[in-house]
Amino acid sequence: MKFSIEKDQILEALQKVQSIVGQRTTLPILSNVLLEASNGKLTLTTTDMEVSVRTSIEAEIDEDGSTTLPARRFFSICRDLPSHQVDIGVSNEDVATIISGSYNCKLEGLSKEDFPPMPTFEESYSYTLNQGTFKDILQKTFYAASTDESRAILNGSLMAFRDNKLTTVCTDGRRLALVEQEIDIPEDAEVDIVVPSKTVSELIKTLDGEGEAVIKTSATQVAFEFGNIFIISKLIDGTYPNYRQVIPSQCEERIAIDREMLQSAVRRVSLMLDDQAASVKVQITENRMELLTSSPEVGESREAVPVKYSGKDITIAFNPAFLMAPLKHLDSDEIYLELSDELSPGVIKTNVPFLYVIMPIRVS
Amino acid sequence: MQEKPVIQMLPDQVINKIAAGEVVERPASVMKELFENSLDAGATQVDVEVIRGGRQLISITDNGCGMNRDQALLSIERHATSKIRSEADIENIHTMGFRGEALAAISSVARFTLITRPEEELAGTEIQIAGGKFLSCDDIGCPVGTRMEIRNLFFNVPARRKFLRAEQTELSHIRQLFLVMALAHPDIGMSLKVDERMVYSLPMSGNMEDRISELYNHSFFEQLLEIDYSDADYRISGYAGLPQTGRKDRQDQYIFVNGRPASAPVVFHALNEAYHSLIIKGRYPAVFLFIQMEPSLVDVNVHPTKKEVRFRLPNQLRDAIVAALGKALSFDSAVERPKVESQKSISIESDEEGIELPPPALPGTPTPPPATVRPIFETQKQMDDILRKPEPLLDRKPKKESRSSNVEHRTSKEEAAPSQPSPPSPSPEKSPWGWCRIMGQLGGNYVVLETEDGYVLMEPRAAHERVLFEKFMHAAQSHAVQKQGLLAPETVELLPSDAEIVRTNITVLQELGFGVSDFGGDAFIVDALPVYVQDNPVESMLIEIARELEKAGKTRGARELVQEKIAQTACQMAVRTKDQLSDQEIEKLVADLAKTDMPYTSPRGRPTLIYTSFTELDRKFSRDG
Repeated sequence: MKFSIEKDQILEALQKVQSIVGQRTTLPILSNVLLEASNGKLTLTTTDMEVSVRTSIEAEIDEDGSTTLPARRFFSICRDLPSHQVDIGVSNEDVATIISGSYNCKLEGLSKEDFPPMPTFEESYSYTLNQGTFKDILQKTFYAASTDESRAILNGSLMAFRDNKLTTVCTDGRRLALVEQEIDIPEDAEVDIVVPSKTVSELIKTLDGEGEAVIKTSATQVAFEFGNIFIISKLIDGTYPNYRQVIPSQCEERIAIDREMLQSAVRRVSLMLDDQAASVKVQITENRMELLTSSPEVGESREAVPVKYSGKDITIAFNPAFLMAPLKHLDSDEIYLELSDELSPGVIKTNVPFLYVIMPIRVS
Repeated sequence: MQEKPVIQMLPDQVINKIAAGEVVERPASVMKELFENSLDAGATQVDVEVIRGGRQLISITDNGCGMNRDQALLSIERHATSKIRSEADIENIHTMGFRGEALAAISSVARFTLITRPEEELAGTEIQIAGGKFLSCDDIGCPVGTRMEIRNLFFNVPARRKFLRAEQTELSHIRQLFLVMALAHPDIGMSLKVDERMVYSLPMSGNMEDRISELYNHSFFEQLLEIDYSDADYRISGYAGLPQTGRKDRQDQYIFVNGRPASAPVVFHALNEAYHSLIIKGRYPAVFLFIQMEPSLVDVNVHPTKKEVRFRLPNQLRDAIVAALGKALSFDSAVERPKVESQKSISIESDEEGIELPPPALPGTPTPPPATVRPIFETQKQMDDILRKPEPLLDRKPKKESRSSNVEHRTSKEEAAPSQPSPPSPSPEKSPWGWCRIMGQLGGNYVVLETEDGYVLMEPRAAHERVLFEKFMHAAQSHAVQKQGLLAPETVELLPSDAEIVRTNITVLQELGFGVSDFGGDAFIVDALPVYVQDNPVESMLIEIARELEKAGKTRGARELVQEKIAQTACQMAVRTKDQLSDQEIEKLVADLAKTDMPYTSPRGRPTLIYTSFTELDRKFSRDG
């Protein structure tokens, strides 16, 4: 196998595939990237057995063939190449000779025979939506997913393709983020899938705003195709909890707040907390919201935020991280916080079909 | 054919032999009886000699009051005693022995020699008895006091003799007994000679510190914390070992009630309770516990050898012991800190003064260890320093590299900026660790810290458990546990036995921030969790808590203990899911651990820190220090 390629091109391709490569993997071959050269194309593939990422780029192929190279190191080498062009030749013993300008190196790889084959995919349904929109949906929800391994079903994003809508939901049992997006759903193609968080973060990294993204589902897998990237991932098995029942149908009061102002205020008062178990107290009076924090032996802080509000006075406490997360990932200028009392869940809404339910912290 | 059994009075000699069966079980019990007599005689020096594990000879020589001839002859009669006079005295016993059986019993099963002289007489008396048969009574020249020689124990009771254990075993019983006596009476000089070889020679007027140091060694004493507690009914003093003194049996737990070595289940229960969040189940820390109370509050007349005693108000006593140990181990308290400080400063003073005289002790009552003498000992002190010293040590050691959490930073180039702490390290004002520096992790797990005088290995999980547990318990004690509501309340169906336990403890669970309520049957609804353990899966946490409470048993009724147990279990689960720590997390953990009341162990008693001093390293590398 022998090919030459632009440095920027291979760098970009490697960047897209290398992030899922494990650093501490038990199978050495999984730290490697599979390189396949044929038909004027170089295809790069990585996998962690759960999710596989593949991308193809054009290259000048002198000799077809394939090998695997240690992904991280190969990436570092490519990043620092002196010339904008690189020639790579691979011997039958899987030793790659990388020549660029006056630099050359020999990088030892592993045989492609040991690389896990790309899983076969039996497509049942396929949906199309804009890449940028898809990325936006994922970004507005993924942070609410659980990381508690004992509740595997919550370690991912629910994507419900129903009623000509894609409803994406993440929750960890204490807060829940939801985005609805209208898409065309072919008849009888209604399905719920739960995509692992790792795959979702991979998607967020690689989705690019331009063009369409195709989502294909099978019984146990999901594939995403966009640009020159193909991602195939296992699904999380199981039934997602009925998220509808935790969304309050109606809240008594509604507060309009400037998003950035609230975000920076929460961040500032959180500086007084050094504990993940801490809370921020929110006191709401007419057109005024005051945030209070305190921790023993550290100190206390308070900040008032102007809001639009004319309802009853409410005092409620939240986990500051839970309160901050949606603010960080939204882009609207104004958000609405809907509350009923200090024990009932709060709801954050915006002008777009976004919803975030947050359970308060009860102080006895 | 058997004759018809006829009931008749037994001759005295037979009665004595039967009594001997109760009182004299083995050489050590002989020694105990005689030793106690010496103490009751007001001796200030008692010398013990044994040969062949006490089978050939046990001799005890004291400098007590001695007896005149008449008294001496009476003493070997059964139920003859100087210690009680009337029935009322039984309720109010201040002496060691009182039953008046010992000498009669012992002399009936051995060759017995009694040599004694009171101060006011010129000649002493020597009485010889063999197997209960009176042989002679002569004048003899001797010093003031009493000397008893017991030779050929059980020579006339082959059955007993056969059941004696190997010499070594009997000897170890004797040594153990000697140890107990020595601990109970630091004010009395004692010596033990075994087969002509001096084993212990303990000077009188020693205080408890000296006594323990002599019996064990000084470094052992360094691992003890002083107990000093009193309430209306009880005064409890002594020493409580740090959890690392724990061993698999109770060998190093010495309990003295009114100066009498005693054991009672309630005391051991109390010890378990006091240590239960500090030490692993099945390990017992060294404890030297001196309990003083009104004699009427304790019944010692339960067992002829008086090993076991009964308390009139066992629950009260248990609470007192738990409180005393809690205070010593400074587990509960912000109150404790200044006390430790003051103890230290006092001990420095007493060091300067030189010798501290022990308070004069009444015979038969234990000397409470002098409260002021608290040595500054190496290991513990240094640990305390590391953990508590507030001032920045950077200034003191400018030549040291700046503190850094990162191993890579440890290269020589860092010396270029010695006084500038690298940004991620905790600021010296805040961190009680002084300039302790995180060196990195071993085996992806243990954290290595360099400190001023050595290095510390920290086990992050145990440390994290401790930090979480104390935060949780502090919040619980101030009734301010915050609870995170759950979006969807979880219904948990438990096994009937687990459900029962959860049901009985439901109010404690609620106090701790578990939003749990009975849902009928064996089902429960959980709608909120304490913020500290909010990441735990609800169902398995409830089950685990139920199981742990069941294991803990019903005896521990106290609410706080149930609370602790629950918090302990929940925290342990919360930590279990934690994986690899980042550098920042390690730093925070180190700082948090330093702030805890009991940084040395996890709530379940696993050690969190292992400290090794540079002195020790130097020694190990055979470097001259």
